[in-house]
Amino acid sequence: MSIAACLLLYGLVVATLGPRLLTRWTRPGVAPRLGVAVWLVAIISVPASWAAAAVLALVAPTLGSHQPVRILDSCLAALEAVAAGDAGVALQAGLFALTTGAVAAAGFLVTRIVRWLLAARARTHDHARMARMAGRQLPGSDAVVVESPQRLAYCVAGRPHAIVVSQGALDTLDAPHLAAVLAHERAHLDGRHHLVLAATRGLAGTLPKVPLFTTGAAEVARLLEMCADDTAARAHGRQTVLGALLALSGAATLPTGALGATGVGVLDRAERLAEPVGFAQRWRARALLTTTLALLTAGPVITGALSATGLAFCDPSLAFCDPLTIAR
Amino acid sequence: MRGFGELETVVMDRIWDSGDTVTVRDVFEGLKTTREIAYTTVMSTMDNLYRKGWLDRDRQGKAYLYWPALSREEYSARLMREAMDSGGDPGLVLTRFLEQIDDGESTRLRKVVRRWASGTDSG
Repeated sequence: MSIAACLLLYGLVVATLGPRLLTRWTRPGVAPRLGVAVWLVAIISVPASWAAAAVLALVAPTLGSHQPVRILDSCLAALEAVAAGDAGVALQAGLFALTTGAVAAAGFLVTRIVRWLLAARARTHDHARMARMAGRQLPGSDAVVVESPQRLAYCVAGRPHAIVVSQGALDTLDAPHLAAVLAHERAHLDGRHHLVLAATRGLAGTLPKVPLFTTGAAEVARLLEMCADDTAARAHGRQTVLGALLALSGAATLPTGALGATGVGVLDRAERLAEPVGFAQRWRARALLTTTLALLTAGPVITGALSATGLAFCDPSLAFCDPLTIAR
Repeated sequence: MRGFGELETVVMDRIWDSGDTVTVRDVFEGLKTTREIAYTTVMSTMDNLYRKGWLDRDRQGKAYLYWPALSREEYSARLMREAMDSGGDPGLVLTRFLEQIDDGESTRLRKVVRRWASGTDSG
């Protein structure tokens, strides 16, 4: 049970501190791919550790025997004692109902996310199909040109995927810039970024009150743009990508307040293309993110191990994993 | 599925380009010159497009006369609107090269580029 408490606490700490710290550490986009990995692990580890805690809390009473409950024991430990039958049938039934409720809520959430993902998939594939229907093939490429004065370039998943360039954008971009834009969009598709985006947005849309998920979805989207920028820059040069960004931005300028804010941090992208950080700074950022990644991955395991061996503040006397306890 | 979708595209292209009402026979005759295709395939494709809302039709004697429900331009406009508004519709997952930016950001973007340009000139 104490392991469950620790896992719960771990999830709470990551969910609380994660959004602010991870945003600060990944914002400059020094190592965007690593940044995406850190965000994803953080986003996954919280529900995973909570689910593990719930399972443990459910299983523990059946494993544990009557154990002394000390005053400073965690709240959950006391609950375990209740579940084990120390405090009457009524309380036990209440706890059981609570657990059942939690499991039902989790099931409800999972269903909603899956439904959201299926709907998003249908919407997105429809759009790709429509784009291929209404557009013309761009000669010598896999992109589709759609007749429109607006200056827009994007990619959308489908069967097959579609890279869409509006006629307006086509008129604005010269050949090297166009190649850079297409490389950027192709990088999104090759990297399967749409799957990552759909998953993070689905989670954020289903649980909009959890900043880790909402901030995470936005930051991941931003970092993925930077990843695609880097891939395009490797093939066509940083200047060319920056030039394309600028060429399209001039036209995409809207009056302040129109159509919402930039979700993907165009300025940040431009800045890092124009003034990439030095060698030392890049390695420092990588080291920081790698450490974070390692801690997030190992976090639940370490938490569990510490509480099982009694090193952590979580009460060791209740560690049902302790072989001696189980033997008894 | 993929092949069928491709045929739908080709048929829509032809109908849009014809700029007039067409029969299945018209489309079939046109397609026959470029690819090996059965009349019934074209018929079922156009029937499909009608049921999906891409085409409208009217019975004319024994055959149907088909025409596009929306012009290519109207579809394009609808598509672009959808893509531009995708920020407000998280269900449409697409990655735009550039989000809409406002004047302030545009100015700052230009400053970044100017700074960068002067840096490369001097350095």
